[in-house]
Amino acid sequence: MNKMILYKEWLKTRWVLLGIVLVFAAVTFYCFLNLTKVVEIRGGGLLWEAMVEKDALLVDIFRYLPAVAGAFLALAQFVPEVQHKRLKLTLHLPYPQKRMLLVMVAIGLLILTVLYALQAGVSAFLLAQWVPVELVSRVFRTTLVWYLAGWAAYLFTSALCLEPTWKTRVLVLMVASAFLYLLFLSGVPEAYNGFLPWLVAYTLLSGVLLFHGVARFKEGAQD
Amino acid sequence: MKRIGQIFLWVSLALAALWVIPSVVNLITLKGYSTPFTLYSCTVHDFTSLDRGEGSDFRFIDTKGNVYGDEAQPMFYASLLASKGALPDSIEGRKISLEEIERNKVIISTRPKDINKTSAPVYLLMESVPERLELQDPEDALISRKDGIYVYNMDENALLEGKTAQLRGALDSLGFAYPAKLFAGKPSHHKAYDEGYLVTDARDRVFQLKQVNGIIQVRAFPQADNLGVKYLNITEFENHATLGILVDADNKLYMLTPDGRVLPTGVTYIPEKEDFLVVGDLFYYTVKTSDNEGEHFWALRSSDFSPVATYDRAYPSDWSLPGIRFTSSLDNWVKLRF
Repeated sequence: MNKMILYKEWLKTRWVLLGIVLVFAAVTFYCFLNLTKVVEIRGGGLLWEAMVEKDALLVDIFRYLPAVAGAFLALAQFVPEVQHKRLKLTLHLPYPQKRMLLVMVAIGLLILTVLYALQAGVSAFLLAQWVPVELVSRVFRTTLVWYLAGWAAYLFTSALCLEPTWKTRVLVLMVASAFLYLLFLSGVPEAYNGFLPWLVAYTLLSGVLLFHGVARFKEGAQD
Repeated sequence: MKRIGQIFLWVSLALAALWVIPSVVNLITLKGYSTPFTLYSCTVHDFTSLDRGEGSDFRFIDTKGNVYGDEAQPMFYASLLASKGALPDSIEGRKISLEEIERNKVIISTRPKDINKTSAPVYLLMESVPERLELQDPEDALISRKDGIYVYNMDENALLEGKTAQLRGALDSLGFAYPAKLFAGKPSHHKAYDEGYLVTDARDRVFQLKQVNGIIQVRAFPQADNLGVKYLNITEFENHATLGILVDADNKLYMLTPDGRVLPTGVTYIPEKEDFLVVGDLFYYTVKTSDNEGEHFWALRSSDFSPVATYDRAYPSDWSLPGIRFTSSLDNWVKLRF
């Protein structure tokens, strides 16, 4: 059954996923092509100076990408489920309903995590050619909150899709907007270091909104 | 799961309201408040505050309410007074010249936000005696690690083993305890000269690291050994009067002189909470610290940094709607604050 769910998710998301992968690859390529040219023309010292004296991160262009990818992936996965109330069929499959939803969300989060890890890994590898490990890890620690925003955007967008009434959808949207705003509140490197574990815990906890939406759908809540 | 979802949603909405509503209300009710520029006067021998009098003329008012013109601040307005032929020949019995006045003007300013942030332990290292006289952009950098301070060439991103060994030898010979705690320096060519970095070791002792003709020289300041220095700043003033500013564990401020003396100033300064401004001249340094309750001024004699006068100015009490917030004007971290 797990394989069937996996195949269903693949059918729903493959084109969006392809688009996301291409955009990630293109943006990452562009970013590092740019940096390569800077190093060729001005020398690698300029990157050190920018990072140490001006708090530059060099990969700022990635900032909103994980969140946008998370939102698009959630739309690709859950809009087909709620169109014409197809979710009813999904929930009637011979498989525990909560586990079904959990597997679907886990697939989405896993896809995003692999994508983010690839981007972070490639970035760290390329940056390490020009700057020391202390500065590479500074970039990595700063970008963690951007990738967390990707998870949050995915989970909240999924919850918005699965929520059956507009009234509650607006409430979820308000919470999602406030939380995503919080995640992008500061552009200062490593500003979120100490707060990050709490933000991760809240993001994971926000997954309960998906089950909340499905439970209300099953109860027949509608506008 | 439905109940947990509902609780999560409503708790989240409550937190968002506690964050957003007070922020908006406080923004709407915010009233601007400014304080006049205040300096100690070498002619009036009191703190004088700049005030726009009737009409467009600026005037100075001392703490007793007496009103003065530009002559109350002949050091600050030296060029203006000289152009009018009104600059005195001598003050406090000392002959003065415009060139000497200009060379002794100093200003330094820091805010808690400059200190309260997570920084990378990487410090660009300038050459203090450049071949072409003018300071050049740094080529090397120091990286502070648990077991030592390493020197890297930035363009090559490569460890300079020779320089690192030389630095380690110099540090070890002075008993430097790793890891280094604080680094203070200004690796910019927009200054008259370079004094490298003031550094504290794991035992809070103060050292200077400075690259001279490619050799990193290390110097210890034994007079600061027992202060428990928690903050330092390098000055690099044009007049070479000081090397740095030190703040001890009790928030007492000291001036570190180029010959290694540590001079108490009587100033209390909490770097992580207070704004700090020093405006100095040939005769006096005016030190201002301020927090959200008020401003504290000290006048220090320029010759030995001994305090000669103090002045406090309280801010009017401020009302704000309590709530939660995630940022602060005092630091660069995002975290929950009540």
